[in-house]
Amino acid sequence: MIILTNNPDVETKLKDQNILRIDGTYRDVLVKARDLVHQGHRLLTHPLMGSLKPNETPYRTIAVSSEQGALDTDSLMLIENAIGTFDKFAQVTRPDRGVNTPERMLADFRMIDLSLITSALEGF
Amino acid sequence: MIKVVHYINQFYAGKGGEEMANIPPEKVKGFVGPGMAFNAAFGGEAEIVATVFCGDSYFNENKEAIDTVIDMIAEEKPDIVICGPAFNAGRYGVACGTVASEVKARLGIPTLTGMYDENPGVDMFKSKTIIMKTKDSAAGMRKAVAAMAPVALRMAKGEELGSAAAEGYFPTGIRKDLFEEKRGSERAVDMLLKKLAGEPFETEYPMPQFDRVQPNPAVADLAHAKVALVTSGGIVPKGNPDHIESSSASHYGKYDIDGVTVLTDKTYETAHGGYDPVYANADPNRVLPVDVMREFEKEGRIGELSHYYYATVGNGTAVASAKKFADTFSKELIADGVQAVILTST
Amino acid sequence: MKLELGIIKITDIQFAAESKVEGSTLYVNKDELKALILEDETLASCELDIARPGESVRITPVKDVIEPRVKVSGEGGVFPGWMAKVKTVGSGRTNVLKGAAVVTTGKIVGFQEGIIDMCGEGAKYTPFSQLNNLVVCVEPVEGTLQHAYEKAVRIAGLKAATYLGKLAKDIEAGEIRTYETPSVSEGIKLYPDLPRVGYVLMLQSQGLLHDTYVYGVDAKQSLTTMIYPTETMDGAIISGNCVSACDKNTTYHHLNNPVIEDLYARHGKDLNFVGVIITNENVYLADKERSSDWSAKLCEFLGLDGAIISQEGFGNPDTDLIMNCKKIEAKGVKTVIITDEYAGQDGASQSLADADVAANACVTGGNANTVIHLPKLDKVIGHIEYVDKIAGGWSGSLQEDGSIIAELQVITGATNEMGFNKFSAR
Repeated sequence: MIILTNNPDVETKLKDQNILRIDGTYRDVLVKARDLVHQGHRLLTHPLMGSLKPNETPYRTIAVSSEQGALDTDSLMLIENAIGTFDKFAQVTRPDRGVNTPERMLADFRMIDLSLITSALEGF
Repeated sequence: MIKVVHYINQFYAGKGGEEMANIPPEKVKGFVGPGMAFNAAFGGEAEIVATVFCGDSYFNENKEAIDTVIDMIAEEKPDIVICGPAFNAGRYGVACGTVASEVKARLGIPTLTGMYDENPGVDMFKSKTIIMKTKDSAAGMRKAVAAMAPVALRMAKGEELGSAAAEGYFPTGIRKDLFEEKRGSERAVDMLLKKLAGEPFETEYPMPQFDRVQPNPAVADLAHAKVALVTSGGIVPKGNPDHIESSSASHYGKYDIDGVTVLTDKTYETAHGGYDPVYANADPNRVLPVDVMREFEKEGRIGELSHYYYATVGNGTAVASAKKFADTFSKELIADGVQAVILTST
Repeated sequence: MKLELGIIKITDIQFAAESKVEGSTLYVNKDELKALILEDETLASCELDIARPGESVRITPVKDVIEPRVKVSGEGGVFPGWMAKVKTVGSGRTNVLKGAAVVTTGKIVGFQEGIIDMCGEGAKYTPFSQLNNLVVCVEPVEGTLQHAYEKAVRIAGLKAATYLGKLAKDIEAGEIRTYETPSVSEGIKLYPDLPRVGYVLMLQSQGLLHDTYVYGVDAKQSLTTMIYPTETMDGAIISGNCVSACDKNTTYHHLNNPVIEDLYARHGKDLNFVGVIITNENVYLADKERSSDWSAKLCEFLGLDGAIISQEGFGNPDTDLIMNCKKIEAKGVKTVIITDEYAGQDGASQSLADADVAANACVTGGNANTVIHLPKLDKVIGHIEYVDKIAGGWSGSLQEDGSIIAELQVITGATNEMGFNKFSAR
């Protein structure tokens, strides 16, 4: 399994996993996941996990398979829809969300992202 | 008094049928043809001050026709513009849809047209103007006028329209808020009982349309197959002889490439208005790979390249139009003995 | 299984020296209830307040809303696994303080949303503006982690609701509503000609602050399973979800599940309401496959003709919704789905993150991106500093006159995906 993340807490806490650190935005993580899907990796977790909207949290973590096979169309549809949804929400900017989020709130966003991916991967 | 301008085609203007489809835009004072029924239906609240008409072929083949029509309409300073109704007439539908959406966009005046479900204009313009549902032929004129006139009056007065289902127009794709009579769960139970009984029911959120086509099995013997090229990338002979529109294409072109081994910037270009054309114009093979196909032909990897290729512009072109194009040229491809088609896009 | 709900109408809440229900007024001894809530060592302080319909009051950030209920007879107690043993509930008689609710607030994370306005524009969109609310506002001791604090707030709400419910244990209710579900075989004999209808209830289960519990079990760790509809009326399902205010199913929604009520209303007349299938909305895609396979399998197993599927949340759950719908339809079972939309402020964007042609019968709770104007209210219960954050629906949303322009998604229960409201979109 490869874990794509732009969340430093995930990188620290799940350091035993195969982490692919993305130095970029939520969208950059989605796009990287799409590139990997194009190369035959499968999505393992939902790219829009959590109820936080893409214009609220700046953090995103997605698990994909390490194995590469034939193109997985379900994964492709999911990631394409997720990017479409992201772009839809990106049209509405929130002044104290996303890039302008205060640090205390950022810590909460990181924590939620970490806890969601951790509970998703329990038992793996 | 509410001022209305009515747009119609040469046929409804009483100029003649197909033989007169090439007449340029004209304007006359007052109503013409179906305008009489509209005027009567307005019940004295509104009046058609002018009627603009144009031949359907002329409108669709001359890019400047729309500008002329808009100027003619603007001079009248109308409160609303009614186009058609066009029923199931395809070119008339496209003309009505174009006039209605452009008037709304450029002049900020409310517009209304009417079409039959299968008119390609519906898919092309339903998000840009209000299109009332009509029957498929002029036999439905009385009903169409009765439905359109009151809606036109309310639009002219600046009133909000109700939902598409309640008012009888094609859903615009714009979601409108409302408070229903019953709560959601009760509506769900009602809907389920109808669905179970095989009765008609109306979903509150129509899913986006997916037209999935199962791919055919692989061509077994490519070395002896006749292969054709089809593109939505707009590659046409230099000068765009068929005037394929740079967006919302209303037709396609069929071009002979017998003996052509490579497309050059001297002989071909792209008509597509949706991407930077520099690289396609410099080397049109990038979009329509005639050069590689000829190599494959020579190497015996394919049997032969078909003499004709088909091209249109996929930029904002309605799915219904694209389907119509393919319906027609697929039959020609089969008649030509083509066994495989390579579709290229941009 | 048969349950009687004894409806005791509450039209006012007052603080008083003695906690009791008298007439239609609920009297609460503030100190006694506070002391009970503060038995939890995680909590440092507890404030109680009252918000009545029509008052110029804003409650925020709302975590949960809970209706006070008490078991009068029959097995088990309300909120099994939390406030009572895990004995199966849903039979006998339960008294309900109808018109009253416990609302919990707490700043568990910095981005929490959830507004209940008791008057004005916002009140139109939340059903909780119509209730007499006892608001429980608790603060944790220093250094409490978010997950521990979330649990403490959750328990505080259940405790308060149970405490209030018990006040009505010996009251003879003015109105009795009876709900009964026969066994599968009895149902077939009783209603041989009626279509067999089930309810697929999707539970939020993505992880921290996104959880739902069934008899104390985290729904994330459960396979898709079945319960009697009446079990939900005794608090078998409770909410641990704090995110996505407009489309989260609070405990109040679970206790008063509108799909269950409306299916019962037609039960034995137009349909045979067979039972409830509960399934989850996990993040791991293999879990989604398994859970939706099981939903479809159970629909088939029960020989259903039709099913209503309800959802909770946005994005990830859209995928579960569509998978459930597709697979259940593929079994030949007709479905209606209930969802809400994020169609953009102009209503022009695609509403769901996932879609399929099988979902041809859809009921919507409206567009959560709809922009609303909330007036300045006299009093805020909860954490006023968060109003600014919530107000940041987007730039310029906090007006000079103190009013707020925000998207509907900040209003608790506004676009509920069980179909609790009349608000919708076309």
